[in-house]
Amino acid sequence: MTTAGMFSRLDGPVSFALPLRALAVLGLLLGLCCVLLIVSLMAGSYPLGALDVVATLTGRPPSEMAQTVVWQFRFPRTLAALAAGALLALSGAALQNVTRNPLADPSLVGVSQGAGLAVVAAIVVWPDLPQALRPLLAFGGALAVAALIQGIAMRRTGGATMRFILTGIGIAAFISALTSAFLTYGQIDRAVSALGWLAGSVHAAGWSEAGMLAGTLLCLVPALFAASRPMAAMRMGQDVAVGLGLKVGRTRAALITLSVALAASAVAMVGPLGFVGLVAPHIAHRLARSGVGLHLALSAAAGAALVGAADLVGRVAFAPVQIPAGLVTAILGVPIFVWLILRTQARPA
Amino acid sequence: MIVPLERPGLSSLAPLLGIAAVSLAFAWHISVGARSIPLHVVVEALLSYDPALFDHVVVVDLRLPRALLAALVGAALAVAGALMQGVTRNPLAEPGILGLLVGASFAVVVVVGVFDLTSPTLIPLVAAVGAVLAAGAVWGIAAAAPGGAAPLTLILAGAAVMAFLAALVTVASLLDEQTFEQLRVWMTGSLAGAQNEVLKWALPWFGAGLIVALAVARQVTALAMGEETAIGLGTDVVRLKALSLFAVVALTAAAVALAGPMGFVGLVVPHAVRLLVGQDYRRIVPWSALAGAGYLLVIDVVARLLLAPVEISTGLVTALIGAPIFVWLVRTRL
Repeated sequence: MTTAGMFSRLDGPVSFALPLRALAVLGLLLGLCCVLLIVSLMAGSYPLGALDVVATLTGRPPSEMAQTVVWQFRFPRTLAALAAGALLALSGAALQNVTRNPLADPSLVGVSQGAGLAVVAAIVVWPDLPQALRPLLAFGGALAVAALIQGIAMRRTGGATMRFILTGIGIAAFISALTSAFLTYGQIDRAVSALGWLAGSVHAAGWSEAGMLAGTLLCLVPALFAASRPMAAMRMGQDVAVGLGLKVGRTRAALITLSVALAASAVAMVGPLGFVGLVAPHIAHRLARSGVGLHLALSAAAGAALVGAADLVGRVAFAPVQIPAGLVTAILGVPIFVWLILRTQARPA
Repeated sequence: MIVPLERPGLSSLAPLLGIAAVSLAFAWHISVGARSIPLHVVVEALLSYDPALFDHVVVVDLRLPRALLAALVGAALAVAGALMQGVTRNPLAEPGILGLLVGASFAVVVVVGVFDLTSPTLIPLVAAVGAVLAAGAVWGIAAAAPGGAAPLTLILAGAAVMAFLAALVTVASLLDEQTFEQLRVWMTGSLAGAQNEVLKWALPWFGAGLIVALAVARQVTALAMGEETAIGLGTDVVRLKALSLFAVVALTAAAVALAGPMGFVGLVVPHAVRLLVGQDYRRIVPWSALAGAGYLLVIDVVARLLLAPVEISTGLVTALIGAPIFVWLVRTRL
């Protein structure tokens, strides 16, 4: 463990040349999130000026209407989008580090679909279930799927990267079909409520959702950053990690559970937003090279900005029709996914 | 590698038995429904139709079209899958996984939804164009990736194209809810509610695709042994690939025009057939057609019985069966 610590320190806190750029980029991304927040609060069917928004936020609303629109509708929704983006990005970054697979993404390998199935089943079968239980259900579903994929893909070769992804695609197809069957079987009003949630939309998010997401972020993120050192060792490959004194099996299980928890809590609140966990860590990586801890922070900021922007675009582009943010992230994410395929050597096991 | 061209266990009776089994599935498919009709009445209705009898009218006017549809779609997708697996030498190749089904249905949705064109003559053509474009995109992405169009890369490219088109379809359906409400069931792959008009116009595509598939089957066997082997055996590989692509696209277009995207049929059936008849595509192609027809007939009965009186989309059932087999193939063949 101590060697692992020293190892990560080589490109961590003691070297100053790289973090400068990374920290600058982090500042820029956080600034971008703030700009997105302000613009999101301005835009909509009741447009507000930037000064009005700032005034409302600082407690001097120009009108009763502005107070309601900003505080009741737009602010919690935007916060939920930013927090969900950060959670999904962190989940993807952790998953990519642990599986050493640049294509790992919670929505691609069925983890999001597992969470989705659990929640849809609950909505259709037990409609009276309190909403507070949703994250737990989603977590259970996602964890079951993650364990299943691990069990199937890892047993033979210690986890060939491509087999992991392909197994995930197969399981995702299976779970999607199950979810659709639930939707056909369920009563129409319940099915419609589940359907809106499944498209990955933050439009219904209020303060309770935003609070829940922010709470998860505050609870799980310190755990993730505490795990950044073993993660740095894992990134070097299994042999190196073992050589550095890491209990690889246990660490891998813990990190995957953590990653699943991050994705599941986001999915439970705003539905499966596709490709965020895939794209955000790569954006972070392209913008600035850094150690694992800083890379996580950069990924979170990039993910928040991505989902914030996707929500804004979906809200404004075809107004008054709202395009769910999940569709916008999919349309933006697929070209980046293709670009990643073009750069990744496909290694048959 | 020695490919066993003849399997001694398979006597000349096998084709007859196969046809008999599919006919039985066909009759069973017709007999099951809200009003169950005994098998002997079904046979009577088909052989000596009497319009005065109510059961005969139900069989011929209501149930026969759907049974024909299931048989045609199953045969088309199974043959398309078998050809794709042979030509790309990829055990996971299938119209659904490589994006052809999504491409075809995307094209149909756009043309029906955006341009408001509902003439049944053109729908198979539109589906074919969509399938070709999607296949081109998937193949182009995979070929440009390092390592070329390896099985794994092809499937990832297929997943990417699928996710993109699916998102676009959902956006379009949100913008114009009324038109897309009608297409929603069709988009999950359903055998309910296809019109006889579409069946008439999809038949030529199906026939052309099947004839070309049977004609190239011999050379596909050579190609499945490797491109060099095929060239050494005197096969014109480029021409063969073009013909196979035509057959695959025509069959996929016919299937999509009739029933929407029906996933994993082209994956499951050829693999099962290969277990029984060996590696010779002269046998695999006709047996896939037969087995595909029987498979989808049985699946469609299951889809109607499972949660009766609610009917599950047949495409969901094929996915529920096919996806685990896909995972199993990933585990054992790659």
